[in-house]
Amino acid sequence: MSLIKYLIRRSLYLIPVFLGITLLVFSIERLAGDPVQIATFGNTHITEDQRQRIRQYYGLDKPVYLQYLHWLSELLVLNLGDSFGGGSVSNLVGQGILATLELQLLGLFLSLVIAIPIGIYSAKRRYSVLDVTLSSSALVGTSIPISFMGIAFILIFGYYLNLFPSGGAQSTIQSQYLYGNVILDQLWHLTLPTLVYTFAILAPVVLLVRSSMLEVLRQDYILAARASGLGDRAILYKHALRNALIPIVTYVGLYFGGLLAGAPVTETVFNWPGVGALFVVKTNVLDFPVIQGVVVLITLMTLVANLVTDLTYAYIDPRIRID
Amino acid sequence: MASLSSRPRKRRVSGVSQWELAWRRLKMNKAALAGLVIVGVIGVMALLDQLIALYPPNCNVGTTPNCPNPGPKPDVWAIGIPPSWSFPFGTNLAGQDVYSQIVYGARAAFLVGIGATAIALAIATLIGLVAGYFGGWVDNVLMRLTEVVLVLPFFLILLVFLRILFTLSPGASGGLLVIILVIGAFSWPGPARIIRGEVLRVREFEYVAASRQIGASGFRILFRHLFPNTLHIIIVLSTLQIAGSILTEAAVSFLGFGDPNSITWGRQLADASEAVKQAWWAGLAPGIFITLLVMGFNLLGNGLRDALDPRLRE
Repeated sequence: MSLIKYLIRRSLYLIPVFLGITLLVFSIERLAGDPVQIATFGNTHITEDQRQRIRQYYGLDKPVYLQYLHWLSELLVLNLGDSFGGGSVSNLVGQGILATLELQLLGLFLSLVIAIPIGIYSAKRRYSVLDVTLSSSALVGTSIPISFMGIAFILIFGYYLNLFPSGGAQSTIQSQYLYGNVILDQLWHLTLPTLVYTFAILAPVVLLVRSSMLEVLRQDYILAARASGLGDRAILYKHALRNALIPIVTYVGLYFGGLLAGAPVTETVFNWPGVGALFVVKTNVLDFPVIQGVVVLITLMTLVANLVTDLTYAYIDPRIRID
Repeated sequence: MASLSSRPRKRRVSGVSQWELAWRRLKMNKAALAGLVIVGVIGVMALLDQLIALYPPNCNVGTTPNCPNPGPKPDVWAIGIPPSWSFPFGTNLAGQDVYSQIVYGARAAFLVGIGATAIALAIATLIGLVAGYFGGWVDNVLMRLTEVVLVLPFFLILLVFLRILFTLSPGASGGLLVIILVIGAFSWPGPARIIRGEVLRVREFEYVAASRQIGASGFRILFRHLFPNTLHIIIVLSTLQIAGSILTEAAVSFLGFGDPNSITWGRQLADASEAVKQAWWAGLAPGIFITLLVMGFNLLGNGLRDALDPRLRE
């Protein structure tokens, strides 16, 4: 019962935070001045009369607080308004979400599956040759700009070796499909971005698991378990891993929050049709309705992800009480 | 051991400070020393930029005045030349010497890294100290504010800020400053929470209670006792934040939102990526230098954490 109470209380507390954020996002745009004026700045082909008509169409001629309230009420029914470039924001974002989730979830899954065993091994055989090699590669992985890695992969595997396409989510014409199959073709396009993206998320997880395992293995209860004659495997996987996973849960929780933002750089490098690339393109032309919509959706997602993370803590570690 | 005891030994009268002890531990750590050397060498490069560069900033070899082509014909354009003696890292498709541009970009990397970190850590320290020491509603308000900022997708907001700035004033010279300010203004929540946690721990120590007993003011306790005892964490967080800020600048520049008027490694990488098939070397050098400097700060940060945090000592 306390769980339901906790959920209700936390959700109630999220409301003011969310309202504060919508207000902040809304005012960041308005502080810069009239959005129509900014978006069409330096455009000599547009007359003041046309600007006024654009304002009327988007309701930007009304007082600012009415605009905010209108935007907020439409937000409640998930209507994010119309893009300056035409089309509804919800549709634009909706089209990108699938591509983003495909890349993000696959990358996250692969990186966890690879990184956690590596981290455990590194902690178990600390300072062995393999540990030093693996953890230094992970350190390089956290330091390398993802754009650099992406370009290098495209150049080597896409251009010189010609193994994978260098961008996009699928071939433009049917005759170019890999073995004439659309699904194989999409997987083929997915390979390089996933590889780069997995490596980018993997590196910090390896370091995190390693340091967290080392910390846990030093604890007294591990010594006690060893003294009572438990085998290495049982100690490592039953006693240590569960406790060492808490920082990983935090990491994954934070990661899920930003998930909808896509990976603007990766998606742009590989010309991947996700939300991140959409945001970059729309920010370039200052399409404010899209900017606001994406930022608010991501914040909402982050708030929910934080709540889920807190609940997961309590599940993994009974010492953490929900109250 | 007769030989040892017979040697006249000087007794140290003064003790060794905690910083001295930490420095000794840092010196033993090879990875941290490697980080220090990388940061030091690139730092010297940034300071001596005019002296060690081969060509003036942004000069298109062979076309711009005062930067002749070192080959037999001084006015031949040097476009997309692979690495050679005259151009150690080659030239890009604009005919600029990549090595010289790297040297000039080092200063921007340090400016962004250190500037953004100074802002972020100054805010984080103030909020962390005040929230942790005073507790109660002050802590509550400050931590809710921290959560709100933490939830905002700061990278996306940075892009919006920069696009608005460069749209309204295309020749703005303060682009790098805006990048520094925005990274700084949004990067403090994580560090603030860690510093607050440390203050919560330190504040329960007896010397703080003793200080309060003899009538020290809250201000004095904050800056005389709590601040110096959280300084080790602030230093570690700073080095890691510098690394993160440099990577953020690289990403911003790559997406075309960087400052068009400064020479940065991120922009060099972005420019080179458009013509990577013709001149891959123009992108290789900035990519490697960003990685090196970020890794240098990361190594240094990890080493400092091991050297400074007494709880990690084995």
